[in-house]
Amino acid sequence: MNARPWRQGRRALLVLLASGALVLGGVAAAAAPGTPARPSAARAPGVVRAAAADSCDPKASSLRPSGPPQVTPGSFMAKIRARGYLIAGVDQSTYHFGFLNPLSGQIEGFDIDMIRAVANAIFGDPGKVHFKAISDEQRIPDVMHGTVDIVAHTMTITCDRLQKIDFSSVYFDAAQRVLVLNDSTATSLDSLHGQKVCATSGSDSGDRILQHKAVLVKVPYWTDCLVLLQQGDVAAISTDDSILDGLAAQDPWTKLVGPRLTDEPYGLAISKQHPEFVRFVNAVLQQLRTDGQWAASYRQWIGAPAPKPPAAQYGG
Amino acid sequence: MTTSVSVPPGPETSAPAEHSARWRSRLDGAATPTRLRLLLALLVLLSLGWGVLAALTADQHASAAADVVAVSEPLSLDAEQIFTKLSDADATAASAFLAGGLEPAQARQRYQADITEAAIRIQAASALVGSSAARTQLPGHLARQASGTSTAVGDDLATLSGQLPVYTGEVGTARADNRLGLPLGAAYLREASTLLRETLLPAARDINTRESALLTSASAQATGLPLLVVTVVVGLGIGYVFFRSGRWLARQTHRVVNYGLLAAALVGLVSLVWLAGAFAVGRGDLLHAQQQGSGPAQAFARAEVAALQAHADESLTLIDNSGDDAYQQDYVAQQKRLGPGPGTLLAQVQAPAGKPGSDAVAEARAWYQAHAALRAKDNAGSHADAVQSALTGDAATRFASLSATLSDGVDAHQAVFASSARNGRDAFTGLAVGMIVASLVMVVGCAWGLSRRLAEYR
Repeated sequence: MNARPWRQGRRALLVLLASGALVLGGVAAAAAPGTPARPSAARAPGVVRAAAADSCDPKASSLRPSGPPQVTPGSFMAKIRARGYLIAGVDQSTYHFGFLNPLSGQIEGFDIDMIRAVANAIFGDPGKVHFKAISDEQRIPDVMHGTVDIVAHTMTITCDRLQKIDFSSVYFDAAQRVLVLNDSTATSLDSLHGQKVCATSGSDSGDRILQHKAVLVKVPYWTDCLVLLQQGDVAAISTDDSILDGLAAQDPWTKLVGPRLTDEPYGLAISKQHPEFVRFVNAVLQQLRTDGQWAASYRQWIGAPAPKPPAAQYGG
Repeated sequence: MTTSVSVPPGPETSAPAEHSARWRSRLDGAATPTRLRLLLALLVLLSLGWGVLAALTADQHASAAADVVAVSEPLSLDAEQIFTKLSDADATAASAFLAGGLEPAQARQRYQADITEAAIRIQAASALVGSSAARTQLPGHLARQASGTSTAVGDDLATLSGQLPVYTGEVGTARADNRLGLPLGAAYLREASTLLRETLLPAARDINTRESALLTSASAQATGLPLLVVTVVVGLGIGYVFFRSGRWLARQTHRVVNYGLLAAALVGLVSLVWLAGAFAVGRGDLLHAQQQGSGPAQAFARAEVAALQAHADESLTLIDNSGDDAYQQDYVAQQKRLGPGPGTLLAQVQAPAGKPGSDAVAEARAWYQAHAALRAKDNAGSHADAVQSALTGDAATRFASLSATLSDGVDAHQAVFASSARNGRDAFTGLAVGMIVASLVMVVGCAWGLSRRLAEYR
C-alpha cells in the first residue's frame, strides 16, 4: 500500500516551491553575477546587490575591539551582568557545534564554547548562560527583536545578513560541500543534477543547491536531513562541511564528497543596537585565538590537529 | 369501528362499511356450520398474521440491539482505545526523551504496554469487521450503512496495521540514536510523532466516528417507536375481532364462554403484553446505555485524547525547543478544545457526569497554570527547570491527575454502557420465537374451540 501519502504531499509541495525558487534564483543570479543569489529577495536584486557587494566584505565587516574585554558602566554588558545571565540563541541539533547531548541533557559543542567564553568574560563564570535553542530561520528575527543577546549557530556572515544584524569577527571557516551515502556515485553537487538534495529552511545552502540544478528539499533541522537520507528520500545533503562532519559522525555509512563550493565564514550574531557588545565579543574571541582555548575547543569537537584560527579582520 | 382498524388479513376489516354489512347479511343468511367455518378461517388467519407481524417486529429490535452489543459497541470501544493508547504512546515516548540519559524503565514499559494494547485492539477490530456476521441480518437501511462503514473502517484498519510498525520502528531508531548520545534521535522522534499524528490518529479517529454513528443508528433502530406502535395497534384490533367473535358465538350457540377462543385470546394478550413489555424494558436499558454510558464515555475519551496530545506537545516543545513553536501552538489549540468553557470537550464531560466532570475541570485549570509556569521558565532560559516540571514536577503531577480522572470517567461510563446494553439486548431474548409459538397456540385454541361447536352440527 501507499506508504505515507501525507509526507509525499509535503514533499511535492516542497519540490514545487523549490522549482519556483529555482526560477527566481536563476533570474537573480543572472541579474547580479558573482553575488550569492537570494531567491527570497524579490526586490530589484541587481541594483541593491551591486551596491552591497561593492562596500561589503563579510570577512572584514566587524568592529575593532579596544583592548581586552571590559564591562564598561552603562554598556549592554553591564545590563547583562545586572540581569545575572547571558541569553544565547543556539543550535541543539548540530553535532559538534551546538547539540543537546541526550546523555547529559546539556547543550554542548564548539559554538557553545564560544558563548561560554563570552559569559566568562562578563561574569567570571562560564555557566551563567541561558541557552535558547532556535531553528535556522529564527536566528535573525531573534537577534533583531532582542529575544536573545547573541546567536552562536553555525551562522555564515553574509552581506545580506549584515544589513539587518552585526557579526563578530570570523571564528570559524567552513565551506559548503556534499554528504552522500557511501555507495553513492555522486562526486559533487553537479552530479546530483535533477535529484533531491536536502537543506534546512533558514540556511543559505539551498541557493547553491538550486544553482546546481538539483531539487531542493527543505526541513527544519539538519538531523531531519539525515533522517531523509537514511530513509532514501533524498540523494544528498549539501551545506557547510562543519555541519556535514557532524552528520557523518552520526552515520558511518555516509561520506563527504566534492570540492569546497563556497566560503562560509562563521560569526556570532549580535543586534545592530549594541556595537559595544560586538567590540567586547571580538575582544573575547581575540583572547581565545591567542591563549590556545580556540585550538583546545577545535581539538575537542572537530579533531586534531587544530589549524591556525581564522585571523581577525575588522571593517570599523 | 372495525373498519377504522387497519388489519390487512380478514374480510371484515378490509371492506368498507356497506360491503361489510353485505358480508354480515350473507353470513347471517348462510347455514351456521358454514359461518362457523368461515369464522374459524378468519381467526386462524388473524392468529398467524399476528404471529408473523409480532415476530418481525421483535426481530428488528432484537437484531439492532444485538448489533449494538456485538459489533458497534466493541468496535467503537476498540477505536477509542486505539486512539487513546496511540496518543499515550506519543506522549510517553516524548517525555521519555526529555528525561535525558537513560529513559526511565517505567516510561518504556508504559510505551510498550500502549503499543501492545493498540496492536491487540487493531487486530480485534479487524477480526470483527472481517467477520461482521452479526450485521448481515440487520434491517435494510442499517445493513447498507453498516456495509459502507465496514469498507471505510477496513481501509482505516489497514492503514493502522501497516503504519504502526513504521511508527515503532522510528521510535526504536530514535531510542537507539539517543542511547549513543546522537542528536539524530530527536529528529527520528519528531518524524515518528508526525507520522502518528498525521496518519495513525486520523485513521483511528475515522473508525471511531463511523462506528459511533452506526452505534447511534443501531440504537435508534432498537429503540424506535413507529414499528412497535403499529404492531400494538394491530394486536389490539385483532383482540377486538376475537372479542366480537366470542360475543357472536355466544349468541349463536347459547353458551356463555367458548374456552378455546378464550384461551387463544388470552395467549394473544399475553404475547402482546410481552412484546410491549420487553420493548419498554429493552428500550429503557438501551437509552440508559446511551445517555449514561456511551455518550459520556465518548465525551470523556475525547477530552482524554485532547489532554494527551497537549501533554505530548508540552514535551515535544521542550525537546524541540527550537523557537519554531508549532508544538506550543498545538498545545494552545488543544487547550482551547479541551476547555472548560461553552462548547468545549470538558463542558460535555461536565454536563452529565457530575463530580468526575467538575474534578476534571479543576484539574485541567491547575495543569494549565503549571504549564504556563513551565513555559515561563523555559522562555526565561531555565530549560532544566522546565524539563523538571514536565517530568516529575508540578506540570507532571497535574497532568497525571487530570489524565487519571478522564480515564476513570471513560472506564466507569463504558461499564455502565456495557451492562445496560447487554440488559437491553437480553430483554429481546426469545421474543421472536415466543411470538410465533403464541400465534400457533392461538391457532390451536381457535381450532379446538370452534371444532367442538362444529361437531354439534354433525
